[in-house]
Amino acid sequence: MQAFEYAHPRSMTEALPLLGSRWGETEILAGGTDLLSLMKNYVVTPKRVVNIKGLRELRGIRGTPEGIYIGALVTLEELRTSQPMHEYPALAQAAAGVTSPQIRNMGTVGGDLCQRPRCWYFRSGFGLLARDESGRSLVPQGENRYHAILGNDGPAYFVNPSSLAPALIALGAKARLDGQNGERYVALAEFFVIPKSDAERENVLQPNEILTHVIIPEGAWELSSATYEVRQKEALDWPLATAAVALKMQAGKVASARIVLGHVAPIPWPAPEAEKSLAGQPINEATAARAGEAAVQGAKPLSGNRYKVQLARVAVKRALLAAARPRSIGAKGGV
Amino acid sequence: MKKHLIGRPVPRKEGRAKVTGQARYVDDLVFPGMLYGATVRSRVPRGRIKGISFGEGIPWHEFTIVTAKDIPGENYVALIAHDQPYLADGAVNHSEEPVVLLAHPEKYLLEEARRAVQLEIEALRPTFTIEDSLNKKEIIWGEDNLFKSYSVEKGNVDEVWARADFIVEGEYRTGAQEQLYIETNGMIAVAIPEKGVTVWGSMQCPYYVHKALMALFGLPADKVRVIQSETGGGFGGKEEYPSMIAGHAALLAWKSGKPVKIIYDRAEDMAATTKRHPSRTRHRTAVSKDGKLLGMEIDFVIDGGAYTTLSPVVLSRGTIHAPGPYFCPNVRIRSRAVATNAPPHGAFRGFGAPQSIFALERHLNRVARAIGLTPEEFRRRNFIQPGQTTATGQVIRENVNMNHLLERALVLSDYHAKTARFARENSGQRRKKGMGFASFMHGAGFTGSGEQYLASVVELEATPQGRVRVLAASTEIGQGTNTIFSQIAADALGLDYDSIEILKPDTASVPNSGPTVASRTCMVVGKLVEAAALGLQQTLVGSGYLPEGYTPAGFERACKRYIESHGPLKSSSQYQPPPGIHWDDATYYGDAYGTYAWAVYVAEVTVDTVTFEIEVNDFVAVQEVGKVIHPVLAAGQIEGGVAQAIGYALYENVVWNEGRMFNSQMTNYIMPTAVDVPPIRVFFEELPYSYGPAGAKGLGELPMDGAAPAIVNAIENATGVSIHHIPVMPESLMEALAVTEKAVERA
Ligand SMILES: Cc1cc2nc3c(=O)[nH]c(=O)nc-3n(C[C@H](O)[C@H](O)[C@H](O)COP(=O)(O)OP(=O)(O)OC[C@H]3O[C@@H](n4cnc5c(N)ncnc54)[C@H](O)[C@@H]3O)c2cc1C
Repeated sequence: MQAFEYAHPRSMTEALPLLGSRWGETEILAGGTDLLSLMKNYVVTPKRVVNIKGLRELRGIRGTPEGIYIGALVTLEELRTSQPMHEYPALAQAAAGVTSPQIRNMGTVGGDLCQRPRCWYFRSGFGLLARDESGRSLVPQGENRYHAILGNDGPAYFVNPSSLAPALIALGAKARLDGQNGERYVALAEFFVIPKSDAERENVLQPNEILTHVIIPEGAWELSSATYEVRQKEALDWPLATAAVALKMQAGKVASARIVLGHVAPIPWPAPEAEKSLAGQPINEATAARAGEAAVQGAKPLSGNRYKVQLARVAVKRALLAAARPRSIGAKGGV
Repeated sequence: MKKHLIGRPVPRKEGRAKVTGQARYVDDLVFPGMLYGATVRSRVPRGRIKGISFGEGIPWHEFTIVTAKDIPGENYVALIAHDQPYLADGAVNHSEEPVVLLAHPEKYLLEEARRAVQLEIEALRPTFTIEDSLNKKEIIWGEDNLFKSYSVEKGNVDEVWARADFIVEGEYRTGAQEQLYIETNGMIAVAIPEKGVTVWGSMQCPYYVHKALMALFGLPADKVRVIQSETGGGFGGKEEYPSMIAGHAALLAWKSGKPVKIIYDRAEDMAATTKRHPSRTRHRTAVSKDGKLLGMEIDFVIDGGAYTTLSPVVLSRGTIHAPGPYFCPNVRIRSRAVATNAPPHGAFRGFGAPQSIFALERHLNRVARAIGLTPEEFRRRNFIQPGQTTATGQVIRENVNMNHLLERALVLSDYHAKTARFARENSGQRRKKGMGFASFMHGAGFTGSGEQYLASVVELEATPQGRVRVLAASTEIGQGTNTIFSQIAADALGLDYDSIEILKPDTASVPNSGPTVASRTCMVVGKLVEAAALGLQQTLVGSGYLPEGYTPAGFERACKRYIESHGPLKSSSQYQPPPGIHWDDATYYGDAYGTYAWAVYVAEVTVDTVTFEIEVNDFVAVQEVGKVIHPVLAAGQIEGGVAQAIGYALYENVVWNEGRMFNSQMTNYIMPTAVDVPPIRVFFEELPYSYGPAGAKGLGELPMDGAAPAIVNAIENATGVSIHHIPVMPESLMEALAVTEKAVERA
């Protein structure tokens, strides 16, 4: 790890000026479960690390007339266990899916959304876009069994690693970002972007902004939601593919649907075709399977990840069937 | 005189120190003025070094810098062959090859400096696969890329094919595997040209390090001292590699005049140190209508990486285990260890046997299917019986009863009822369940004449207080050496557990009891402990101080009186082969091992044929290991070995990128965790072995051999698809299931 300056501000007004205006100068530290390994592996080498754990205003979950405010420092474990979250099974299940008590107790909501891609090339120092000297990506013909099958026209082939993001997007959540010039709200669906160069990041956050809250809009509790994950192993690992769905049901038929795939594209991947296929339909084996099919219509697997198309399709189907069942918190994850 | 410790779960000798944090691992040791050392590696799989440059912005004058030309003695890691340099000199043969060593008091600056050294290397065409190496696409080692080859001939294989009712062929592959001991490799060295070299560190084999440092520095034995610090696991990964890192720390210490510590972080440890040899096995098997093996032709190849290290002996064990616990009148085995430009592969629990046994136990299921027998019935008809000979002509003299082990394992796992039920229930289900098993054996101790060459020695010394010290180079690496040696010595002498002390392995004070490897510590060295203890007793009895039927207090009085009148009270014991053991290195014929442990393992799995998720739901491990010295440690060895083999079968996929391990982090080299491991139900059969202490055999490696084929056989039973390589990744399962993108999820 490269030597760095450590700052431990006590308030937002103290914290914001400590952040640099260019990526690479400073990094925000929350639970540290991702940042520390990035620093140890020299993937990021900030000159200053700003620990935000002293910012009380970023803690806690509270209900307001506009919706539920989830502080960026809320841990995954709090999210999994807190009572209000039981109204949002997709989210509680996604948090429970992060299967290690250590990670869930240290990792935060803000950190989960802003964690960096797990792409082996990125983590081994080849850069975010993993390009060779001629500018071509090493991924499409390289080690890509865990890479993107959707949204992979380049230059990015990594997958967004957040399990929370698809669920939050399905529920219509937005993020509050605070900078020295005040705050702005961004729908989480627009928060994630596909970077075009190695200097860019995977979201619209500015280097001198802090993600302070995630807001689930009022009324989302009415939705029938679920997250389904496909994993190779049960703990201490990211899923291979996930789907989060949130359905508005009327008289047993789908009035509206949000379907978002995770771990299959450089951003949480919405599936409008799948959503459309469900309009006015009941959820059953056949409609769910059709939606799964529609969700992976545009998939373009790379040399080594064809199997993920199948996993994504199945995840959509199973998430839909789970959402349509009477409510219960996912059985997976209580480890 | 009481004998009451063997067979009982006494507390671990060093357990208290470990749980209270008193135990000192190498990274806990701090010496005044100590520097940290780091290694600059080639990063090119094969090439010629053209230049070394030291980048800007680093205060290089503060650093100790060592290259090949600083080596005072021989630039090779002394082991079997002398081909592996401590530091590359001219040529590099793998991407992790050490070229330059650096030392500095500040760890963080050291890491930056390491990154600032630039090696100019002219790249040569590398070889990465077994096939390319065998085809001699490039000659990268010796004259033919072969570190070693063996051939075993029994009967006449050539004439069986014509009269066989069935001939079944198959090819099987296994991947590399990382040992993943909890404590990474590390060493501290103090080296002063006039005085000699001393190292402390994490290791399995102090005398291997000792021998290597003598050659590296051109020093006599008494000027090199190797001390084991508390060691957090080894699994073979600390058999040969510690010689490398100890040499590096010592070279830096020699040049700087200061103590130097080198501790690998996890990524460096995973990428640069030895892993299990990848393998390819081809079988051609002749069988009669009534299901009897007529002939086996086996071609076994392992990838040794860039240098010889232990490949010849890994190959040897893999070769001898390749025909398994079966009787076959005609056998031909050809085996080869080939060179590639990967970091050298090395010792890992099982030592070649997990590779060849995986192939055999998968293949025999295929054979059984071809001739229309169940896997269990086919094995029943072919298990080796007492009086029959193995492929190397060893006559089985023990009362082996593989049939009994098989029956017991099948009953305990409810095999028959479950296979029948799963066969009924699986149809139309996407989650399919299956049962699979493997039958196998593992030879304890060094192969062939190995133990005779080692000629291990153990010494016991009694104090005037009646305490007995065990002096041996055998290391406690978490597996329980200290505990079982204490049990054995205490029972032999009729003493309490607490009156036995185990001295820390330190080459300045303990004799060479050989390396802590090859499932030999309990059976071979334990027997020496027992013999030396009996020798001690005899000396006391002979001197007239020790009455028959003595008590511990009587023993203490006798020691005191003996020492007062005769001086130190010591007894030592040296290995003698059991009578009637013969081995011929030249013809590769005879008694390959003094004895074997025998086992049948059964796995129950669930396979999701849509998401390719595989769960191991139940595991039954039945084995015959002679007398069990310590039931908890023994069961722990089996459970740990099975868990490690689950990783080998299903998760641990070393991915190579230009000859480097690409996934050298614990987030991408995934291993099973507590939730991925089923209940492992362990059952022992105890048939005492006459030449082991209290009848014990070796068992440490055994569990690594059979679990992977049992699991893959269970996957086959569940899904009907036959998989020939491990680890089984989701994508390979998909291929095997031939699920097309268009396939819609059923059920
Ligand atoms: C073994 C393992 C398995 C895992 N499995 C999963 C999984 O299945 N699903 C999943 O979703 N995640 C998984 N994770 C990731 C884990 O959830 C994240 O590491 C964690 O949530 C990050 O939170 P943190 O507070 O520790 O973030 P940190 O490590 O402190 O920060 C992570 C990144 O986010 C930035 N950041 C943090 N907070 C903010 C903020 N408020 N505003 C702006 N930027 C911020 C940091 O600068 C840094 O770049 C796993 C992690 C491990 C180690």
